[in-house]
This record gives sequence, C-alpha cells and structure tokens, in this order.
Amino acid sequence: MQIRIIKLEVSYQDFQLRVENLQFWPKQVSVIIGPNGAGKSTLLRSLAGLIRLSPGSVFIDGRDLSTVKGSERAALVSYVPQEQTAALNFRVFDFILMGRSGYLSIFSAPSRTDYQKTEEVIAYLGLEALASRKCHELSSGERRIVLIARALTQDSSLILLDEPTTFLDLKHEMEIINLLKKLATDRGKTIITSLHSLDLVPRVADFLVMIKNGRVLAAGQTESVFRSDLLASLFDYPVRVVEAEGQQLLLR
Amino acid sequence: MIGSIRKGPNRRLLIVGTVFLPLLLLVLSLSFGTYAISLKEVLKIILAKVAGLKPDLLSSPEANIVLNIRLPRLILALLAGAAFSVSGASLQSLFRNPLVNEYILGVSFGAGFGAAASLVLLSRTFPPQLLAFACGLLAVVLVLLISEGARNTMFAVLLTGIIVSALFQALLSAIEFVASPYALQSLFFWLLGSFSQATWSDLLWSAPLIIAGLGFLLNLGWRLNALSLSDDEARSLGLAVKRERILIICLTTLITSAVVAIAGIIGWVGLIVPHAVRGLVGSDNRLVLPLSAGFGASLMLLADSLIRIFSPYEFPVGILTNLVGIPFFLYLIKKSRASWS
Repeated sequence: MQIRIIKLEVSYQDFQLRVENLQFWPKQVSVIIGPNGAGKSTLLRSLAGLIRLSPGSVFIDGRDLSTVKGSERAALVSYVPQEQTAALNFRVFDFILMGRSGYLSIFSAPSRTDYQKTEEVIAYLGLEALASRKCHELSSGERRIVLIARALTQDSSLILLDEPTTFLDLKHEMEIINLLKKLATDRGKTIITSLHSLDLVPRVADFLVMIKNGRVLAAGQTESVFRSDLLASLFDYPVRVVEAEGQQLLLR
Repeated sequence: MIGSIRKGPNRRLLIVGTVFLPLLLLVLSLSFGTYAISLKEVLKIILAKVAGLKPDLLSSPEANIVLNIRLPRLILALLAGAAFSVSGASLQSLFRNPLVNEYILGVSFGAGFGAAASLVLLSRTFPPQLLAFACGLLAVVLVLLISEGARNTMFAVLLTGIIVSALFQALLSAIEFVASPYALQSLFFWLLGSFSQATWSDLLWSAPLIIAGLGFLLNLGWRLNALSLSDDEARSLGLAVKRERILIICLTTLITSAVVAIAGIIGWVGLIVPHAVRGLVGSDNRLVLPLSAGFGASLMLLADSLIRIFSPYEFPVGILTNLVGIPFFLYLIKKSRASWS
C-alpha cells in the first residue's frame, strides 16, 4: 500500500493546491498540518477521490485513483469527515453498518457478513454500549469514534481523517490519537490525518507534511521536520520546540 | 445485547403494517358507502370472483357496485396513499430535508398540467400518464436547477418549488380556458383530487406503473440510508451519488405523476405519513419505506371511507388532505428551524 502524489493540481475560484511529489508510507500515521485554509482538507479529499483528479496524479497501491470508481475505491480508501452530518437520526449500529454500502449493489440490503463485520468493529472499539443508541444523542467525542468505526467496516487499508480531534476535550482527544496509532501498528492500516493541535503531532505522527498556501513546505519523518524554524515559518509565528521529560513540547 | 440489535428490521411489524392493515381496510371499505352492503356479502362476492364459486352471484347489482365501482376506486386510493408516502419518504432522505415531498418539488402541479394538457389537447384515449410524467419531471428538474448553489438549500428548494408550482398552475388555468365546458367540469373535479371517478380502464395504465415504481423504491431502502449522508460521505462509501439520485427522483416522479394523472392533485400525504412512521420506528429506511407504503395506503382508504360514509356529495379527498397537511407543514417548519438551520 504505497500512496504517491505526482503533480497534483486542484483549483477553486481563488485557491490552488499544487503538490509536485509526495509519498506516504504504509502502516504508518502520517499527519498533515498547516494554517487554516492552507489546503489540508483539499489534499485529503483529493486522496479520497472526492475531487475530480487529472489522470496520473494520485496513485494508491500502484493504481491511478482517477480510474478507480465507486465501490472499488471504497474498498481501497475510506474517509472520515470532520463532523457527522447525518440528517436522519439513525441508530448507531445501522450508521456503522453503512460502511458496508460500497460492497452492496444498489438494490440489496446488508447481509450476514456485513452484520458480522460491523459487530467485529464494534467489539474491537468497545462500542457495545453505544450500538443501540441514536446518533443525535451522542457527544461529539462519541460521534468521532462512531465515524471511525464506520470507516473500519469499510475495510480499506488506507484511512483518511479530517481533523478528527477538533473540539474534543483532552481525554477524548487522546483516545482518538491512541486509536490511530493502534490502527497503524495492530491492524496495519495506513493513516493520513490532518491535525489542528500541534502538541499532538510528535505523539502520533510517524511522518509529517506541512502545507502552506496550497504548497508543501516540508515533508519527512517527524523527528526531522518537527523543528522550531519550520514551524515558525509555517505559521508565521515564533514557536519553539523544547524537550522535557523525554517529550517534545511546543512553546509559543 | 448485540444479539437483539443485529437482527435487521422487525419482520412481523413489516408484514402487519404493510400487508395486513391495508388489506383489512380494503375489505372493510368495500362494504361502506351510501348503498350498504354487508361484509359477509362482500366476502361472498370476492370469493365468487376469485375462486369462481357461485358465478350467478356476480350478475347481482351488489357485485357490480363492489367489483366495478368500489374496488377500482379503493385500489386507486390504496395505490395513491402508498405512492405519495413512499415518494415523500424517499425524497426526504435524498434531500436530507424533512419538509420535501412531491407537492413541494412542483411534481404535483407539473404532472397535473401534463395530464390536463393531454386530456384537452390530445385525444381522450391517449394515456395522460405519459405527459403527466414528462411535465412532473420537468417541474422537479426546474426546481433543482434554480435552487442549486443556494446557501440555505432547504428554503431555496421550498421557495423555488412554490414558484414552479405557480407557473404550472398558471399553465393549467390556460388549459382550462381553452377547454370545452364539458371537459372543464370533469377537469375541475379531477384537479381537486378525488378517487370517485376511478374506473378499471384508468387503472390499466397507472396501476402497473405505480406498482413497478414502488417495487423498485421499496428495494432501495438501505441505499437511501447511505444517500441521506453528506455527498462526500456517500461518495466515499462507494455510491454513485449523482446517478443514484437521478434514478430515485425519476422513480418518485413516475409513481406520483401516475397517480395524479387519474386522481388529480392530492397533497401533503407524503409529508404526514413518513413523519408519523419515523416517529414510530426511527429513521432506518428499510422500515420507513414499506411502513409508509402500508400506512399511506391505509390512511387513504380510511379517508375515502369517511368521505363515502359522511358526505353525500363526494367531498374531494384532495381538499381534506390540504386542510390537514398545511397546518402540519407549518408546524414542521416551526420545529425544524431549531434543528435544521
């Protein structure tokens, strides 16, 4: 599971994302950081195939993503949006089960296998207590976990997440971060996520990508990229990375 | 604990709500009316027709009333209720908008205009369902194109729907203006929405279209669950969102315009029934769609029976549904402002 971006260009009215060459490594957690509006979400949505791509710009496992359609793409990559926006108030179990939709033809309903997969995921994440509740009753931390659960039933080896910890309290933030690490190490998932809180980066990121104004400012192993000078120029603000009790901390 | 969850939709509830309840009401309704026919008599006539027992019974005036006047009318009521409710439930999921239904999207008046134009301008033997479907589809496409890109899509769709409906109402008036006085009278009653003029030959075209469309839609329950998510989510789950959305809009337009072509404009059923069903069983469309079909059919059978029992002048059912539906719609708008803004 190799993910490669070659000469990717995405333009909106007054915004352009351009990535010359970027590679993500399998079974790792890669983190994308950058100021608001830098293009993090656009990059993630390109990788998810949610944006019309020009041929030969994104390759997943050697396959040109622009040629991979619908259900096949769903089996390759799943996408966890920032917020759960379901208009209808589904039961959590059914919501997670929806991760299987790509495997079903348009006129069919989930089968036994789909139910089994969903139960496995619920057991793995310890969500049994939530399963029979309604989505609209959940706290925002629970909603994020449920979204991740749905991505897991999709059974893709690449999982993309758009700022999965924003607006969460400390405990839920750490739960999500630890889960992402666990998914990469235990389950061999390739994780690419954008993150808002920088102090989490050294705790979770194997690989770090910095994006500013639609361009990649720096990308590399976290130890080599998570540096005072790069961070300062990324955010146009003097920050310092210091070490305390064996951890890298950010001073602002 | 998971054991009870893992079972899909509750089958017993489904069978009772979608099959037994409407069938029971259908048989009961056959005995109601200005000319009372006992339930026993009704059952005898049905048995005679279906099983071929006592064929001489079929030549009685009672048999004529039951089989040729009441039965087509009630089958139309049943199909209309099911079609409006299923299309309402489907569209509400598809648009993620609790206020949407075929009436709001302009389909009713579009189809009404198409059917009227077909009856007045083309031959009476030409099936009006065709033009009804074409104009119903035109109306919904217009609404979607005009409201596209608006910031508050929910209210943009509502507003455009009103305007497009007004356009087709104006076109309808133009048709009424050129229609002969004789045609005008039947046009007038048909437009108010009524099952009273239904004949077997009307159903010949509409019933297969409605049943086929319903058949497809009822099998799309699970898909509609996923389609009710945001576009990004649905697409990342592997759905061909655009194509599937077009398919569902075509199917709902087909069944509702097939009803409108022979029963006229009966609004709001598709708003009331799915809401009641969702309140009862939750949001899973695998349950909501079939139960909406069953409850919608039952509701229309009930409404038609009440009209036949209490009103000697064949009060149009379309007026009744407006009188109930509009206050309910206002209540929903009021309520939704909190949760849908």
